[in-house]
Amino acid sequence: MKSPREFVPSGFLVYLGWGNLAIIVIQKTENLLSAKSGSATAERAEQVKKPSQRLTKEDCLEIFKQLYLARYFDVRLIKEKKRGRLRGTLYSSHNQEAVLVGSLFGLKPTDWISPIHRDMPAFFMKDFRFDIDNPDRLGMSIEEVCAQVWGKEGSPGRARDNWSHIGSKSKRIIHSTSMLAGTIPVAAGVAYADRMQGGDAVVLTYNGEGSTAQGIFHEAVNYAAVHKLPVITIVENNQWAYGTPVDQECPTPDVADRAKGYGIPGLIADGQDVFDVYDKVMEAVEYARAGNGPAIVECKTFRAYGHGDHDDDRAMKYRPSEEIEKGRRRDPIAVCRQTLIDLGYLTGDAKTMYMAEGKNAGDATNDDFPPEVVDFLNKGIEFAMNSPMPAAEEAEKWVFWNGGQA
Amino acid sequence: MSATTEAPAALKKNYLTALKEALDEEMARNKMMLCQGEDIGRLGGAFGVTEGLQAKYGEDRVVDMPISEAAIVGSAVGMALNGMTVMAEMQFIDFISCGFDQIVNMMATYHYRTAGEVHIPVVVRGPAGAYGGGALYHSQMNEAWFCNAPGLKVVCPSTPYDAKGMLKAALRDGNPVIFYEIKELYRKREIEEELPTEDYIVPLGKAAIRREGKDVTLVSYGQNVYHCLDAAVELEKLGISAEVIDIRSLVPLDEDTIFNSIAKTSRVIVVNEAPMTCGFAGELIARISQKAFHLLDAPPSRVTRMDTPVPWVKPLELHVLPTIDKIVAEAVRIYRF
Ligand SMILES: Cc1ncc(C[n+]2csc(CCOP(=O)(O)OP(=O)(O)O)c2C)c(N)n1
Repeated sequence: MKSPREFVPSGFLVYLGWGNLAIIVIQKTENLLSAKSGSATAERAEQVKKPSQRLTKEDCLEIFKQLYLARYFDVRLIKEKKRGRLRGTLYSSHNQEAVLVGSLFGLKPTDWISPIHRDMPAFFMKDFRFDIDNPDRLGMSIEEVCAQVWGKEGSPGRARDNWSHIGSKSKRIIHSTSMLAGTIPVAAGVAYADRMQGGDAVVLTYNGEGSTAQGIFHEAVNYAAVHKLPVITIVENNQWAYGTPVDQECPTPDVADRAKGYGIPGLIADGQDVFDVYDKVMEAVEYARAGNGPAIVECKTFRAYGHGDHDDDRAMKYRPSEEIEKGRRRDPIAVCRQTLIDLGYLTGDAKTMYMAEGKNAGDATNDDFPPEVVDFLNKGIEFAMNSPMPAAEEAEKWVFWNGGQA
Repeated sequence: MSATTEAPAALKKNYLTALKEALDEEMARNKMMLCQGEDIGRLGGAFGVTEGLQAKYGEDRVVDMPISEAAIVGSAVGMALNGMTVMAEMQFIDFISCGFDQIVNMMATYHYRTAGEVHIPVVVRGPAGAYGGGALYHSQMNEAWFCNAPGLKVVCPSTPYDAKGMLKAALRDGNPVIFYEIKELYRKREIEEELPTEDYIVPLGKAAIRREGKDVTLVSYGQNVYHCLDAAVELEKLGISAEVIDIRSLVPLDEDTIFNSIAKTSRVIVVNEAPMTCGFAGELIARISQKAFHLLDAPPSRVTRMDTPVPWVKPLELHVLPTIDKIVAEAVRIYRF
């Protein structure tokens, strides 16, 4: 196998440049590996400059807003679902938003992502770094995503599969499916093909910790490691896989330890701290982009509600209430707000504006969110509500490709 | 390495060489094509189908994969999603079960799920079939699993000409194709043929009439086509004229050729080495009963493997599989019905 650097088309200078970058990144990741989970303060004390330290004030405030947007999407969907307006199951991303926002923020438009059931906001948040209203960004539009949720015509998969199972080849979002961990080999193939075509894309895949028990997780990560493919497997360790606690799914306390078996970095991020997620994922991304191969980034987080909305009542029984309270206490929006206050980026009234954090979805109101966030989602919902259902006969279409004829 | 390809009299080519030529020509034609599988590069494949391809096209396009059918098939889906055409080799088709989920849930459904945005040009091919003492895990014909998964095309050539032309067609088809090769035919001298020097394909979805007859239609594919042809010779001695149809392509299926033959013979037997229950023979008979009942003078019949695994030693193996004798006996019974 050619080293990935040899795929860089533009010659010697670039080659040298990449080589140097690779060395820097390797050193940084080694630091990280030895520091392991560590508290945010310990890491701030480190000499190495974290990727988040490169973020401007505007970036940080944008990240804050995006946490709100992810939360608002979830809150609204929970309410719509409760009112009986939506078909299917909602897998809430509540309390896990920092994983999505922190991991997506550092990507380039040419990168690919592969979200799963609990990552609905990722579908429209890809590329948000370049402004939510920018029509040229490569994420899916909120209209497309809402049309899918409502099962309407304007959805990319024509609402043929459950709402969380969308994706877009043109937007470089691998289509989500129900087969847990099943998209990781697909992501590896996408990365391989991108490299063959001279690209430098990194592919982020998202999976719950429970899904790492699948054989295909091993097969895919092993393959990606053998070929040094730039695939970052993000493990959203929210402590529960449906009704089973993590210690019944994984024999080691840290899922990231699995990386050792593949000879790749296994990083651990505080999944409630968007900047820590950003740092760890960016380091893995830079490391992968430089041709060093895949990494696993485990984000420690907590699932606020049941597995799906159908499970909320039962979840109260299999999860002790103290655990739920403790798990929800570190709300990612609150953690981010505090960081911004410490940095002096939020002052005066701004410190206490829009307080959605810590609230149950049912208790949060529009006043808890920035108006532009509310407006953004409302646009999508309105589009979805006004869009017709796909025609019944469509169910027979698209079993086979017919060479592109209409 | 194949003796036949290097033999001086090699105007005629064997089934395996035909497959190799198909891959070679398609790799040359389509720079975005890639082959992957276990031991297919350095070694050239367990049977030699990919021999020489890595030297010619490089390690990036002829990839030795970890022993990981799910990764072989799953990453092929990702490559296809990102603009490539992939040949994914299963070392033996029996092991395809280890990649089953990726095939039936990921690959087969991708076009449908995305309402046509994505199509998956991947051919999963591998050696299949019994009669050589391969025993339980190296003898299966598991095509029915995949015929039952909408979105997959399923084919099985029986001649070198078809092997080459259908593999080329499959690689250009744009849909996922499960391509059954008959390993007992790979190097069989008797079936070698001259192949056209110019580019050609054999379209998927067209059956072939291998022998004309007027009393009974024998419908089959793969290795069993030859059993049917031999049975037809025996039947002729008994004054029964058998027509032999090689369907070649299970999905899509050329029903017309089958029905037209039955219109002539009024009798049909499906011969299939897969186990009987829920095998493809049952599907053919159901369609014949539903759509061509009025053409029949006798109940449609089938000769299949028994519902057992494929045992190892010869007397046991032949006991459970279709044989010439069993086909002849059934044809006589149907003829006298
Ligand atoms: C192969 C497979 N087996 C079982 C399921 C059913 N299932 C869906 S989600 C889930 C739990 C997933 O837990 P985890 O991976 O930790 O992700 P989380 O839902 O906690 O985010 C299960 C068992 C499935 N979708 N796919």
